[in-house]
Amino acid sequence: MAEAVTKKAPSNKATVTLTIDGRSVTVDKGTTVLEAARSLGIHVPTFCWHPKLKSVGSCRMCYVEIEKMPKLQVSCATEAMDGMVVATDSDLVKQGRRAVIEFILMNHPLDCPTCDQGGECQLQDLTFAHAIDDSRFAFQKERFVEDGSVSTFDDVQIGPEIMLNRNRCIQCYKCVRANKEAFGEFDLGAFERGNITEINAAPGRQVDNPFSGNLAEICPVGALTGMDWRYKIRVWLTKTVSSICPFTASGVNTLMYMDETKNRIYRTTSRRNDEIDDGWLSNVSRYAYQVVHADDRLLTPFIRRDGKQVEATWDEALDLIAKRLSDIQDQKGCVCIGGLVSPRLDNATLYGFNKLMRHVIGTNNVDYRTEYRMLPQTPEDHYQAACSQPIRISDVDDSDVIVVFGSDMLKEHPNLYLRIRKAFNFGAARIFILNPYSTKASDVAELEMVYHAGMDEVALGAVCLTAVEKGIVSSDETDRLREAIAFDSASAAALACGLEPDHLELMARAMAEARKVTFLAGEIISRSREREPIAAAICNLNRLFSINTKGQFGILPGHSNSRGAHHLGLAPDPPASIKAKLRSLWGQYPDTETNTTDSMMVQMRKEEIDGLIIMGANPVMLYPDRAFARESLEKLDFLVVSDLFETETTELADVVLPLSSWAEYTGDYVNLEGRVQTASKAIHPIGDSRPGYAIVEAIADRLENTLYTAEDYRRDEIDTMLEVDTACPVPNLYVPSKGGQDEDDAEYPIALMIGDDPHHRGHYTEKSASLTSHVGEAYLELSPDLAAGHEIKEGDSVRIESPVGKVVLPARISEHIRNDIVFVPRNFPSAPVTSLLMRKRRIDRVRISKVVR
Amino acid sequence: MNVVLRAIGNVFWSMPKGLAVTFKHLFKKPVTLDYPHQKKPMSPRYRGLHYLERYDDGSERCVCCGLCAAACPADCIYMEPEENEKGERRARIYEINMLRCIFCGYCEEACPEEAIFLGREYEFSDYDRDSFIYTKVQMLVTSPRKDNPFKWIIRKVRRVYGVPEPSL
Ligand code: SF4
Ligand code: SF4
Ligand code: SF4
Ligand code: FES
Repeated sequence: MAEAVTKKAPSNKATVTLTIDGRSVTVDKGTTVLEAARSLGIHVPTFCWHPKLKSVGSCRMCYVEIEKMPKLQVSCATEAMDGMVVATDSDLVKQGRRAVIEFILMNHPLDCPTCDQGGECQLQDLTFAHAIDDSRFAFQKERFVEDGSVSTFDDVQIGPEIMLNRNRCIQCYKCVRANKEAFGEFDLGAFERGNITEINAAPGRQVDNPFSGNLAEICPVGALTGMDWRYKIRVWLTKTVSSICPFTASGVNTLMYMDETKNRIYRTTSRRNDEIDDGWLSNVSRYAYQVVHADDRLLTPFIRRDGKQVEATWDEALDLIAKRLSDIQDQKGCVCIGGLVSPRLDNATLYGFNKLMRHVIGTNNVDYRTEYRMLPQTPEDHYQAACSQPIRISDVDDSDVIVVFGSDMLKEHPNLYLRIRKAFNFGAARIFILNPYSTKASDVAELEMVYHAGMDEVALGAVCLTAVEKGIVSSDETDRLREAIAFDSASAAALACGLEPDHLELMARAMAEARKVTFLAGEIISRSREREPIAAAICNLNRLFSINTKGQFGILPGHSNSRGAHHLGLAPDPPASIKAKLRSLWGQYPDTETNTTDSMMVQMRKEEIDGLIIMGANPVMLYPDRAFARESLEKLDFLVVSDLFETETTELADVVLPLSSWAEYTGDYVNLEGRVQTASKAIHPIGDSRPGYAIVEAIADRLENTLYTAEDYRRDEIDTMLEVDTACPVPNLYVPSKGGQDEDDAEYPIALMIGDDPHHRGHYTEKSASLTSHVGEAYLELSPDLAAGHEIKEGDSVRIESPVGKVVLPARISEHIRNDIVFVPRNFPSAPVTSLLMRKRRIDRVRISKVVR
Repeated sequence: MNVVLRAIGNVFWSMPKGLAVTFKHLFKKPVTLDYPHQKKPMSPRYRGLHYLERYDDGSERCVCCGLCAAACPADCIYMEPEENEKGERRARIYEINMLRCIFCGYCEEACPEEAIFLGREYEFSDYDRDSFIYTKVQMLVTSPRKDNPFKWIIRKVRRVYGVPEPSL
């Protein structure tokens, strides 16, 4: 089996002291002169240096003079030594930098007027700062002309969102290095050498990886520019607003460039936060702003009149809502009203929604988890415990063992995915991945273990049993553990879940030996019907390897404000500490029956719930049983849906309210670490839309019950709620972790996994033109062998049938997936893939066949 | 008595003296011009209505870089770029509000493409304010103009080594 990857561990904390421009500074050994200067606030100009990449010293812009060294040194690649005397501003240095710029400009076209980088170009700035207006290189400049191009501009589009102009490239290789070192992608490369060095897409490929937008951002010149920004506006005409990506649970920090007069956002770049994102944005975070300006945003409220939805004013809509809700309340009681809310909304909206439902209406039918199947009415202890563990994103960096379990990191948490890559490339991490299908992170994994779909808890149990049997860890109560796992021996468990015993042993040994372990579980677990036994298995693993004492573990929340929703008590039956706090804030707390999304739907079918308010969620599209969700909602007497767009759910609504997006009001979001971050208002609400908190407050007003007495009450109440400690203790004993299984159905042999495409998240991103230019339609991802077995070729139409539905999708053959499983993205309304799912199943199974015309 | 004498003096001395000045001008070259039939010769540095220049092959010089608008002290230039069918940067909208313009000529100075010039046209009064917002079509010349002596000076000063002017 693969050897442990040995890399330098950053344990050595010796320091050195040097003098820079007459000031003395003490830094850790191994720091570069450049970083030492920066720590003093001395600016040394750079092109090729990037704080998150390895130094290459290719541009020579960062010249400094070091005493006793005969020539100028590149500070980004020179290690700081004790007693060094460095000058960053001497005449010699200035002369050197001038010469470097003159040299860089040798072949540079200086077509700044047509260059999208103009105004934010480091080369422009430095040329100006060094007052260079002349050149001694009086010969024809090297020019890259694309064959057959009629344009005089020499631009080449190398990816759906990336424009390349090779003339402007200064060969800093930041793009290629970031692509390789940070993202692990190889679709961009440097070719040829010397004067004709060129950056270009790898032969026959497009630069379309899920992080490609970063390349345009980090290119110091206008060689790589973004298509979304191309020829739209000059950077000095825009204003920047700090925001948060609402599509990632890590809450990636972003900066939005907007024009006030046009009320328009033009692009998003990173607002580097080393604790969270290291300055990298996934394309989803980068291009999500286009959702705000999509053409089909809802602009006014709609009311259903005579079976048709017609435009209405806010007053009409709110009056109708108040009237119908009070009617239902009077006739059938407040328990006949329910509410579903999206965990992508900000704290004020979520809290207001909670207060509206619980305090004003008085029902416990509230839930924010509209995408999970079969949630039980009372919270599951182990699942809650595993979800509420403290996680720090930056702790991934120096973990020496990272285990990813039941999570396609790239699709669910792109920034954690990059962290894991970083821990591998720059740290000493050994990475183990346990998934029912192979994922993109496998190339940095020491071991990727693919278990049979639906065998999640057995796989973890097998690891535990192996550790005990081989004496890797000593534990009391091994009998209890065996009992909990419901397998007698490791080999039996390994056989059942399809894992190799020596792989299990390797992983168990690594986890036992590690100083710091990070164990991350994701959506595959949360979406599973058997999330509780799996969480119990995670807790058992934690106990056996004491993960929480030497690192961190947990099930990651799925959405940008899932943690916030949990803290603000949006779950039907929130933890006792939250209930107590809410009761003390409101003076009362309803003691009615608690209903989750699932049980609400069941009650709707029984006509026990008649009125429903949905905010920002789209259960018809994303609930894992489309027919069930749709039929349930159709049974309602009165449905209010508030959303950005017309969706499958708004179609059924009696009142549709236009919701403002995250960019249109200031809101706070709690990321997966529990960090509260603010997305500031970038633009005014589009059309007649209103922020979520304003909508719930308006509804409460109409119900003659003001939510807050003063503006700052809202803040105060939310702040008090966020302070409540909701961490559930992890069980101290081994707990039973046997999950139920579906009956086998020979007719439908293939397991179906539904999730997000790497370029999409949820049901909004499909409205972003830049994201759909990467992936614009659903597909069926299947293994080469499976495809060969059904005579399917790339792009062929394939019929996917489950006992309840049928969808036809084009095939996409991927090396990354096993033979007994297929993957379908759920982000495209045109492909109703959730209609294949049955909510009561653990693993959905389908059969596929080629469509013959 | 005095009064009578002064009246006589006015009639027979001051009036003819004044009229003499008047009649003298009958024989002098007039200072006024018969505008609009006649026009005053202009300083070569006169700054009138803007025009947008073309390359010799007829393509537009302006690439909508925004520098003229950035230089404009009256903030009267508005533009929006676009990509033309050849994939080149051009102005989709280029407007100057001539009522706000102070004809300082900074735009001409700022322009890196020698695209905008202040011409000699000054007769552009109109009946409503809207018509003073000059669009790109109104300002773009039909064929390259050569009449501005400054153009050639600017081009001489420009340091382009061995690089042919794009699309010339
Ligand atoms: S990259 Fe663009 S803006 Fe920067 S110097 Fe070159 S042409 Fe000018
Ligand atoms: S394309 Fe940009 S980032 Fe890449 S090497 Fe050239 S200048 Fe550097
Ligand atoms: S007129 Fe000149 S300065 Fe103004 S946008 Fe066009 S090219 Fe730029
Ligand atoms: S920044 Fe140091 S050589 Fe480029």
